[in-house]
Amino acid sequence: MLMDSPPVVFVIDDDPSVRSAIKRLIGSVGLQVELFGSGQEFLTSKLPNVPSCLVLDIRLPGISGLALQRQLAEANVRIPIIFVTAHSDVPMTVRALKAGAVEFLTKPFRDQDLLDAIHLALERDRGRRQQDAELAALRERFELLSPREREVVAMVVSGMLNKQIAAQIGTAENTVKVHRSRAMEKMQANSLADLIKMIDRLQVPRGNSL
Amino acid sequence: MMAAANPAMMVSYDPLEVALSVIIAVSASYAALDLAGRVRVSGGGRRLAWLASGAIAMGNGIWAMHFVGMVAFRLPVAIAFYWPTVVASLIVAIFAAAGALHVVSRRDMGTLYAWVGGSILAAGIVTLHYTNMGAMRLAARCEFNPFLVSLSVVFAIVFAVGGLWIEFHFRDARRQKMVWRRIGNALAMGAAISAMHYTGMASATYRSSVAPPDLTHAVNVSSLSTIGIAVVTLILLGSVIIASLVDRGFSAQALLLALSEARLEVAREARLEIMGELTASIAHEINQPLTAIVTNGEFCLRNLSSGRPDQKRLREAVTEIVHDGNRASSIISRIRALLMKGAHEHAQLDINNLIQKVLDLTQNEITSNHISLRTNLAADLPLVRGDPIQLQQVLINLVTNSIDAMRGVTNRPRELLIRSARSPDGVLIEVQDSGSGVDPDGLERIFEPFFTTKQEGLGMGLSISRSIVESHGGRIWTVPGSPGALFAISLPLNHD
Repeated sequence: MLMDSPPVVFVIDDDPSVRSAIKRLIGSVGLQVELFGSGQEFLTSKLPNVPSCLVLDIRLPGISGLALQRQLAEANVRIPIIFVTAHSDVPMTVRALKAGAVEFLTKPFRDQDLLDAIHLALERDRGRRQQDAELAALRERFELLSPREREVVAMVVSGMLNKQIAAQIGTAENTVKVHRSRAMEKMQANSLADLIKMIDRLQVPRGNSL
Repeated sequence: MMAAANPAMMVSYDPLEVALSVIIAVSASYAALDLAGRVRVSGGGRRLAWLASGAIAMGNGIWAMHFVGMVAFRLPVAIAFYWPTVVASLIVAIFAAAGALHVVSRRDMGTLYAWVGGSILAAGIVTLHYTNMGAMRLAARCEFNPFLVSLSVVFAIVFAVGGLWIEFHFRDARRQKMVWRRIGNALAMGAAISAMHYTGMASATYRSSVAPPDLTHAVNVSSLSTIGIAVVTLILLGSVIIASLVDRGFSAQALLLALSEARLEVAREARLEIMGELTASIAHEINQPLTAIVTNGEFCLRNLSSGRPDQKRLREAVTEIVHDGNRASSIISRIRALLMKGAHEHAQLDINNLIQKVLDLTQNEITSNHISLRTNLAADLPLVRGDPIQLQQVLINLVTNSIDAMRGVTNRPRELLIRSARSPDGVLIEVQDSGSGVDPDGLERIFEPFFTTKQEGLGMGLSISRSIVESHGGRIWTVPGSPGALFAISLPLNHD
């Protein structure tokens, strides 16, 4: 995962003139652009793992823009979408925005509106990726814990005292202390509060047993 | 023994009063049938009002018929009437009539309802009749013949059930026929009521009695007062029939108005649909090159103001702008053709039939603008292959144009002439008006898109019409009239 890799803007429009004009405009602000003529083309291509967003026409041959938005959501591809369309109506706009679209622009659009929307979308994607990366790292660290350590951590975060934990798992209080400090170390937690936050993000069930 | 020895009294009838009673019976029947229809189509308070006035008129009619018929009955002794009973019998008649009207005015009436309603009415009439006979005060004893009494009851039931049933089942028949059927029905019902009454009267045999009649609360009825009752009753019946007629006229007018509005709406929607389709096509087809042009233009501006203009890329962008500008222009000219090619439904069309449909749709606009319409349709037209909806659209467009052109005409008759004829290769249709005509300067451009002389026009009607006609292999043209204009369409029999 390269957080500093240059972002990519994907553009799907069935009109080659529109595609090339948009590419020229976006390219002029130093962004990398990839063009597609249809939703199918986009779905079958391999997406690079970099911050990205999608500029999507609603009226497309084959899969419509709105249908593509739905399919991507179903496939758990969480790319921010900017819709552009020549003729929109209110219900269409509401549907697109409710399903998480960043912006809904009417053709022909103002260049600054499109560029602003693209920057906002890339910012969102970057933030989302950052969070995903952090979560993945956290999960990796959690994987390092031994079964016993996980058991102890779950009880610690649920507010049990070392003594109680010792009694619960039938071991000495000192042994619990050792498990606990090792777990903190592996999770790179500086404090109990830190550990609780991490476990919370990982959505590990709390309690006196795992 | 004494009684049996007494001979039956001589009975006679006053012919004038008998005739009067029959007339009342027929009128009351007619009013009842007529009002049942009003009650049925009215709702809420109006329904109740019609039911009440109908019941009063009909009940009063039946009562008056019996009373007049009874007065027509002459015996050698004086006959007086016990008036409380007479009044009570009137009330019975009104309630029986209300019951019958209620039943016959229901949305649907099963056999059971016909029998229940008929029986209520029959019971009311029989009660009315025999209480009235009971109200007679005279120096005689009365004996009834059971057979004739039963017969009168049968007559009452047959008349009531039969009348209700017939009225119910023919109530939705066509208006013209309806009136005659109703008159016939009223005559039959009136005859049945009379038959019932006079059978009832005949069932009684009066033998003179020495005992003087009890004349408390009894009144003598003179011929004059009989005629008075009859006249009042007939006026009452007449006024409810007239009221019903007026009410029907009003509802018919309201219905006609609603219908004409619905028709206008259809015509308007047909126009809007074409416009909507056109806008959607324009939006999509034109917006694509426009988007490319605008976006490329904006790129050029950015690049030029960046301080380091990139000659090569600017040239590329401007080349594309020119290309897309030309593309947009060619799309505009293609849109019309595209629109017309669309879903071309082809059928063998009877042009006269098509014209008639268009006139049905525009009839109300024509009449409400005080335009006199003439048609001159050739009888032997061959069938033309074409899309009925599209050609109908063309004709509606021409007719509404004519109507619009004649709105301002006040100094001459507003005339619309629609003609169909055989032409050498097919069919010719002409729409001619006496309106404001076509400006000679506009003659050339009248079929061009967005050319309009109307305040609120879009200038698409004739342009679309021409595309439709041309897609049928035909031609549309205009000839300036004096005054007004003539638009002609020729459609060939065969085309691709």
